Amino acid sequence: MDSINWHSFFFLLFGLLASAFAVGVVVASSVVRMALYLIVALAATAGLFFLAGADFVGAMQIMIYVGGTLVLLVFGVMLTAQGPFVSMKTGGGDWLLASLVAGALLALLIPVAFSVPDWRGGEPAPAVMEPTATPIGVGLLGVRVDKLDADRPESLKPGMSSYLLPFEIVSMHLLVVLVGAAYLARTKRRRSPSQIES
Amino acid sequence: MDLDVLLPKLLCIAWLLPLASFTLIVFFGPRMGKKGILASYVAAGAIVTSFILSLIAFVSWIGANGVAAPGGHHGDEHAAVSPLPVDASNSPSPMRLASLADTHAADSHGHDEHAVHEVHKPVAYTGTWYTLGQFGDLKITISYYIDALTVCMFTMVTLIASCIHFYAIGYMHDELHDITDTQVLVTKGYRGHGHGHAGHGHGAHDAHAHAHDDAEHDDHGHGHSDLPPPPAGYDYLHRPGRFHRFFQYLSLFCFSMLGLVIAGNIAMVFVFWELVGVCSYFLIGFYIERKSASNAANKAFIVNRVGDFGMIIGLMALWGSLGTFAFGDVDGQQGLFSQVRNSAHNYELRTPDGMVLQAASDEIARGVEPTAKQIETWRSEKLGYWLLVIAGLGIFCGCVGKSAQFPLHVWLPDAMEGPTPVSALVHSATMVAAGVYLVGRFYPMFTPEVLLVIAYIGLITLFIAATIAITASDIKRVLAYSTVSQLGYMMLALGIGGWSAGLFHLITHAFFKSLLFMCSGSVIHACHTNDMFRMGGLRKKMPWTAYTMLAGCLAIIGTPLFSGFYSKDAIVAQAVMFTKQNPAHGILLYGFAGGAAMTAFYMFRLWYMTFSGKPRDHHVYDHAHESPKVMYVPLVILSVFAVSVGWTMPFFGLSLTNLLEQARPAGEIGTGVLLPALSYPAEYLSHAPSVHLIATLIASATAAGGFLLATLFYGVHKLDAADVKRQFNPIYYFLVHKWYFDELYNFIFIKPLFFVSSIISKIDKNLIDVFIDKLAVGVKALSRVDDAIDRYVVDGFVNVIGNWTYSAGRSLKAVQTGKLRQYVMFIVVGTVALTVIMQWALAAE
Amino acid sequence: MNLLTEPVGVAHFMVVGAIMFACGVVCMAVKRNALGVLMGIELVLNGANINFVALGSKFLQKDGAFSLGLDGQFIALFVIVLAAAEAAVALAITLNFYNNHSTVDVDRANELKG
Repeated sequence: MDSINWHSFFFLLFGLLASAFAVGVVVASSVVRMALYLIVALAATAGLFFLAGADFVGAMQIMIYVGGTLVLLVFGVMLTAQGPFVSMKTGGGDWLLASLVAGALLALLIPVAFSVPDWRGGEPAPAVMEPTATPIGVGLLGVRVDKLDADRPESLKPGMSSYLLPFEIVSMHLLVVLVGAAYLARTKRRRSPSQIES
Repeated sequence: MDLDVLLPKLLCIAWLLPLASFTLIVFFGPRMGKKGILASYVAAGAIVTSFILSLIAFVSWIGANGVAAPGGHHGDEHAAVSPLPVDASNSPSPMRLASLADTHAADSHGHDEHAVHEVHKPVAYTGTWYTLGQFGDLKITISYYIDALTVCMFTMVTLIASCIHFYAIGYMHDELHDITDTQVLVTKGYRGHGHGHAGHGHGAHDAHAHAHDDAEHDDHGHGHSDLPPPPAGYDYLHRPGRFHRFFQYLSLFCFSMLGLVIAGNIAMVFVFWELVGVCSYFLIGFYIERKSASNAANKAFIVNRVGDFGMIIGLMALWGSLGTFAFGDVDGQQGLFSQVRNSAHNYELRTPDGMVLQAASDEIARGVEPTAKQIETWRSEKLGYWLLVIAGLGIFCGCVGKSAQFPLHVWLPDAMEGPTPVSALVHSATMVAAGVYLVGRFYPMFTPEVLLVIAYIGLITLFIAATIAITASDIKRVLAYSTVSQLGYMMLALGIGGWSAGLFHLITHAFFKSLLFMCSGSVIHACHTNDMFRMGGLRKKMPWTAYTMLAGCLAIIGTPLFSGFYSKDAIVAQAVMFTKQNPAHGILLYGFAGGAAMTAFYMFRLWYMTFSGKPRDHHVYDHAHESPKVMYVPLVILSVFAVSVGWTMPFFGLSLTNLLEQARPAGEIGTGVLLPALSYPAEYLSHAPSVHLIATLIASATAAGGFLLATLFYGVHKLDAADVKRQFNPIYYFLVHKWYFDELYNFIFIKPLFFVSSIISKIDKNLIDVFIDKLAVGVKALSRVDDAIDRYVVDGFVNVIGNWTYSAGRSLKAVQTGKLRQYVMFIVVGTVALTVIMQWALAAE
Repeated sequence: MNLLTEPVGVAHFMVVGAIMFACGVVCMAVKRNALGVLMGIELVLNGANINFVALGSKFLQKDGAFSLGLDGQFIALFVIVLAAAEAAVALAITLNFYNNHSTVDVDRANELKG
C-alpha cells in the first residue's frame, strides 16, 4: 500500500464537500438553507482552486463570491423571505424531468472528461508552488511575466498579452451594472399596499 | 476728395435713398403714423436729402470743371472762366477720360469761318460699383457714367421730385381716410373692402358700363355731402385709403429714374428703363377700381413693350458685335463710345472693328485673313455699317415707346388717369424725358441716317400732338398732348444735330411742364372736374395757381426772358442751320414753326378757358377754392425755376447750356454714308449772330401769332370758337378723335388679333381639347386595368405571404410558455442534443 | 485506480465541475423561488470555473501537455467578477419584481408568454 497522496486526499475531501453541498442546495426546500449550503459549496470550490495552484483565484473566490455575492443573496433572501415564499414546493413531474435532463448532461460530460488521456492523472505532481498574485496583477495591467519566453506573434512586444483592455471593459461593465442595479432596486411603490393585497 | 471719388459716392447715396424709403414703406407703410401719414414724410425726406446731395455734386462739379463750355467757340457766351477743368491735367485717376491733350484739328467740313476747331472728349467719370456676374465675355455690372449731363439731370430730377412730393402730401390727403369713389359703381350690397380687390369683383365689373362720362375725370373720389345719388340699384365704391402706397411707388420711381440717369452701361439702363415703366404702370393704375385707369395702365405697359422689343434688338446688335455694354472705358476695356469714335481718328464716326468682322464673317469663313488692312478695306466697303444703323434704330425704338413718339404716342394721354402729381413727375417731367435723355446719352453711336429718322419722327409727333391739343377739352389731356408735342421738339432737335439744344429743352421743359401739371392738379383739386368747359373765371378764386400757371404758359410758348425762350431759340437756330445745309429737309423748319404757333395757341386757350372770363358752371365755381399752402408753395418754387432756368447767372457765368456743353459727345456727326447728300452742321455754328437773329424772329413771331389768335378766340371773344368749329367740322372731329389713332390701331392690330385668337381658340376647343379629352378617357381605361392588376395580382401575392407568416406565428406562439424553468430545460436539452448530434456526425465521418 | 494514493488529474476536477454544473441546472429547473434560480446560476458558473482553473493548472498534468496556464485563472477571475455583477442585477430585478407583484415565484412572471 502506497503512502497517502495528500494532494489527492484533499482533492477528495473538497470535491466531495463541494458536490455534496451542491446536491444539498438542490434538494433543500427552504431558501435560507439553500443559501447556507451554497456558501459551503463555494468555499469548498475555493479549496479546489488552491489545490490546482490558483491561490489568487481561490482567495478571490472566497472574498468576492462567498464574502460578497452570497451576502447579497442572503440579503435578498431576507428581504423576500415572507411566509409562503420561504419554501415553495415543486411538482414531482418537474423533479423527474430535471433529474433526467441533468443525468443526461452528466452522462455526457463525465465521459468527455475522461476521454483525454493527458487529463486522467496518475503522473507525479511536478514543479514547485509559485504565488500567482503578482503575475495576475501585472497581467491585468498588460504585462505577462509568465510568458516572457513563449512564442508570440510578431505584433506583440515581449511579455505583452493584453488583458488590459478586457480589464477596463469589465470595470466599465461593472460600473454600469451597479448603477443599473441601484436604479432597479430603489424603492418605488407604484401601488398602495391595499391594491397589492387585492 | 477728388471728384472721381466724391461724385460716385454722393450720387450713389442720392440714388439709393429713395430705394431705402421704398423698402421702409413697403414693409411698414400702413403702420407709419395715423393711416400711414408718416410714409409721405419718409419719402419726402429721402428725396429732399437726395436733392441736397445732388446739389453738392452739382456745385463740386462746377468747382472742378468750371462753368464754361469747353473749346471756347461760343463767342457770344459768357466764357470768361478758363474752359479747362482746374484739376484735369494732373488728375492721377486712370478713370478720368478727359484727355485734354487730344486737341486735334478736326474740322473735316471746312465750310465756315472756324478753320480750326478743337475736338474735346467730354469729362466723364466711369467705374463699376458692383459686378453682378460674368458670363463668358458678357459682364453684367452696376456701373456709373457721370458727366455734366448726369449731374444736371440728377439735380433736375431730385428738385422736381422734391417739389412734387410736398405737393402730393396736400393733393393726396383724401387717401388718408376711407374713400367713396363716385366713378366706380357697384351693385348694391357689394362690399369690396379688400385693398385693390374691389376692381376684380364681378359686382364692380358690370358697373363699369355705367361709369360716368369720360370728361368728368376727377382724381378724387370725394366724400362730399352734395354727392349726386348713385343710379338705382347701385352704390358708389367704398374703399380704404391708400396714402402710403402712393408714396411707396413714388419712391420706387425716383430710385429707378435716378438709376437710369446714372447707369454706366446700356444693360443697366435697360433694367431701370423697365423699372420706371413698371412704376408708371403702378401709378397710372393707382385708382385700380376704375376700368379706365386699369385699361390705361395696361395700355401704357403694352405699348412700351413694343418699343422695348426694338430696344432689345438694338442691345443684341451691340453686344453681339462689340461684346460690351459699357458706355465709357472701364478698367482699360474699351466702351461703346470709344469703339465707335476714338481719339486716333479725331472722334469721327467709324464702324467699329467688331461690327465689320461680324458683317464679314462669311468672307472670314471663306478663308480671308482679317488683318488690320483687310478690315480697313471692308470698312471702306461699308461692311457692318448697317449693323450700327440697326443698333441705333433699335435703341431709338425704346425711346419712341418711353417718350411717346409718333407711332407709340397713344399711351401718354391715357396715362393721365393717374393722380396728377404722377402726371407731373412721371408723365411729363422725368420718365417720358428718359427717352430723350437716352438719345442724348447714346448720341455718339447714332449715324446720320438714324438721326434723320429721329428728326422726322420728332416732327410728326410734335405736329400731330399739337393739333390734337387744340381741340381737347380735358385740361390734363391738353397738357398731355402738349408734353408729347414738346418731346417731339426735343427729338427733332437731337435729330438735326442740336445735342445741347435738345437736352436744354428737356430740362427747361421738365420745370415748366411739371409746374403746369401741378397747377392743373390744383385746379382739379378745387373744381373736382377735368372739363375745361365747366371752368372759367377761376383767377379770382385761386390767384396763386392762376399766376404760376401763367408763368408756365409763358415759359412753354417761348416768351423772351422765360426759360422756354432760350431752349426753343437754340432749337430753331439749329433747324435754320440744318435746313440751310440740307434744303431738301426744309419741312423740318416749317413744321417746327407751325408747331410753335400751335403750342402758343392751345396753351393760352387752356389758360383763358380756365382762369379768365365768366364762370361757365356756377356749381363748380362756387365750390372752387385756393389750394393749401403745401400745394402752392411748390408751385411758386417751380415757377421761379421755370422762368429762370434758362438764364445765364450774372457774375458767375453759370448757364445750363455751357454746363451741358461740357458733356457734349466728342466728334462731328459728319455726313451720311448711306445718304451721302445728308450733312450735319456743327451745333456751335448755329450760335452765329446772323442765324440767331433769324431764329429769334421765327420763334417769337410764331409764338406771338399763336398767342394773339388764342386771345382773339378766348380772351376777348372777338372770334367765336363755335363758329370755326362748325366751319371746319370734319377737321374738328378728326382732331377730337385724336387722328383716329386708337381706332386705327384697333382696326390694324387689335381686331385682327381678336380674329386670330378666336380662330385659335376654336382650334383649341374643338381639336386640341377634344384630343386631350379622348386621351384622358384612354388613360382612365388603362388605369382601370392597372388598378385590377394591382388589386388582385400584386396585392393578392402580398396578402398570401402575409397570411402564411401570420398563421406560422400563431402556431409557434404556444412555444412561448412564459415559464422560466421550462426555458432552462429547453436550453439544457438543446445543448445535450447538439453535442450528441455533433458526436454522431463526427463519428460518421 | 486508488484516488488516495494516485495523483489526481484534470478529469477529476472536471467531474466535480460537472456535478456542480448539473446541480445548478436542476436547481434552475425546479426552484420556483427566483433566488433559488439565482443560486442555480451561481452553481453553474462555479462548475465552469473549476474547469478553467483545472485546465490552467500545472500540478495536474505532466510537463508539455496542453495547458491554459495563467489565462485560465484570468478567465476564472473575470467570471467571478461578472457573476458578482450579474448577481447584483438579478437581485435588483427580483426585488423589483417582488415590489410590483408581491411575489418571487418565477411561475408568476409569465406576462411575456405567447
